[in-house]
Amino acid sequence: MSWSLRLPFLSLSFSPRAVAVGFGLLLLVNLGTVLALRLGSYAFTETSWLSVLLGAGSEIERMILMDHRLPRILTALGAGACFGLSGAMFQTMMRNPLASPDVIGFNSGASCGALIAIILTGGNVLLGALSGALFTAILVVGLAWKNGLQPQRLVLIGLGIGFALAALSDLLLSRTDARTAADMAEWLIGTLNARDWQDVTIVWSGLLLLAPAIFWIHFPLARLGLSDDLSSSLGLRLSPLRLGLTGLGILLAALAVCTAGPLPFVAFAAGPIARALVPNGKPALLGAAVIGALLVLAADTASRMVPSIQLPAGVFTALIGGPVMIWLLMVQFRKGKL
Amino acid sequence: MNAPAHLHANALSVAFAKTPILKDLSADIPDGKITVIVGPNACGKSTFLRSLARLQKPDSGEVLLDGKSIHKQANRSVAQRLAILPQSPSAPEGLTVRDLVTRGRTPHQSALRQWSHQDAEAVGRALDLTGMAHNANRPLEALSGGQRQRAWIAMALAQDTQILLLDEPTTYLDLPHQIELLSLIQSLNKQSNQTVAMVLHDINLAARFADHIIALRAGAIFTTGNPAEVVTRNNMEQVFDLKCQIISDPVHGTPHVIPE
Repeated sequence: MSWSLRLPFLSLSFSPRAVAVGFGLLLLVNLGTVLALRLGSYAFTETSWLSVLLGAGSEIERMILMDHRLPRILTALGAGACFGLSGAMFQTMMRNPLASPDVIGFNSGASCGALIAIILTGGNVLLGALSGALFTAILVVGLAWKNGLQPQRLVLIGLGIGFALAALSDLLLSRTDARTAADMAEWLIGTLNARDWQDVTIVWSGLLLLAPAIFWIHFPLARLGLSDDLSSSLGLRLSPLRLGLTGLGILLAALAVCTAGPLPFVAFAAGPIARALVPNGKPALLGAAVIGALLVLAADTASRMVPSIQLPAGVFTALIGGPVMIWLLMVQFRKGKL
Repeated sequence: MNAPAHLHANALSVAFAKTPILKDLSADIPDGKITVIVGPNACGKSTFLRSLARLQKPDSGEVLLDGKSIHKQANRSVAQRLAILPQSPSAPEGLTVRDLVTRGRTPHQSALRQWSHQDAEAVGRALDLTGMAHNANRPLEALSGGQRQRAWIAMALAQDTQILLLDEPTTYLDLPHQIELLSLIQSLNKQSNQTVAMVLHDINLAARFADHIIALRAGAIFTTGNPAEVVTRNNMEQVFDLKCQIISDPVHGTPHVIPE
């Protein structure tokens, strides 16, 4: 079953199940956002959050909602969407669920770059994360390039470089004073503590700018799921396409890392969960974006619920992502793919 | 069908790790006919077909599509004229037959034009021609081997090209399904005048379904011609090192090899 959409400038086909799941997920995002706004060390009642949002309530209430929770939630949603998109892109391109940016070193590269920017120059996290991710990507892709870009080589080399960069981050931490190091260590696990409207602007304007490119690349990406020979015989130019996808995936990963830190497992888990909900063999980019947003929102809200321990959100995404990884490995193993 | 397209191999040489696979091989693929490439294992059949389909870049020589080197033409424009079904193709899990066949439309589509009326027509036609319409909504992995192969052929048909290349399309099929598939390809060729070139293992099936046979031995052409010219006692002995008798197939009148 599929539905067709035909406009003068655009024609698409899509499955009713994907649409239904999409609406369900959006509903969940709305519910989750409302819950996240209400819950916390200062809880709002079922109706009071809305009136505060609309301008009523006390100064303090407005500050909690508008200056703290709302930007934090919007950053979580945006960063989660970036992670989900980036992960699903790499996984589909490599036809391998292990090939997500948090596994193949790009997140480590982004966070290492951000650390260098903070510690050595006291400078811009975004610029640091972007250049770190870009540098890592050039290194990994450059080393993996052999008659074109081959998925297995990329995964293995990315894994190795990722470990090396994590070690470099640790080294940087050990060379700074204890207080900065403690802050940085929390940031390295991934946290949405003290996010403001500037972070919201960065992540959402980045997403908005990249949206047309993501829409455009979704079409060839969906065909890359066939073998190399087949996608090439269907007229795709594999190496330029993979370079473009890698570039886009890195930009998305860097955006997410500089606003939420290198939250583990979000990029890795979002795609497989989305594909399990709509198992039609397509890349499920949109689904992965929404699942990623939900995962980060849930992790951050959970981390706010236990303020006494001050666990960073990354701990919770790892709690969700770990089992997903085990499930994926078991499925892969049963299919004889490992 | 699309504008006529012609395929020609000119002095192809391919080597893997310095072992020569094809040696200075030139061949013409006759338009509108079924050409079958035969030869013993490791004679370079598949490499030859993959070179024709621009999936293998030759070390020297070139494949000419409509008189121009195939590697110097836009990949998408080549894909509008030439389709290839490689050996044991794979698709992502869960992909339905209809979605797979729709993938064949890729060279005629773009990000903004993903599902035109022509696409819907071509996909419907490919599903009907291969008898897969009633299986269209089933995922590929739920099908039997024979049905799956039909689904792949349907994808190649939806590509709507003048030239169709098939690399051992009958692998993993039992004899009835082999005959069924090759009869399907033959009837499609007769209906649409599509140029077909395929690699087949079975010399008797090749003799029965081919208009033109290219016999390879050790990376070079041993002989070419119609089945009666190629499938002779002498040629079989020299190409396959096979001592045999040739009889006339009592049903189809084509040459039939009886190994001694």
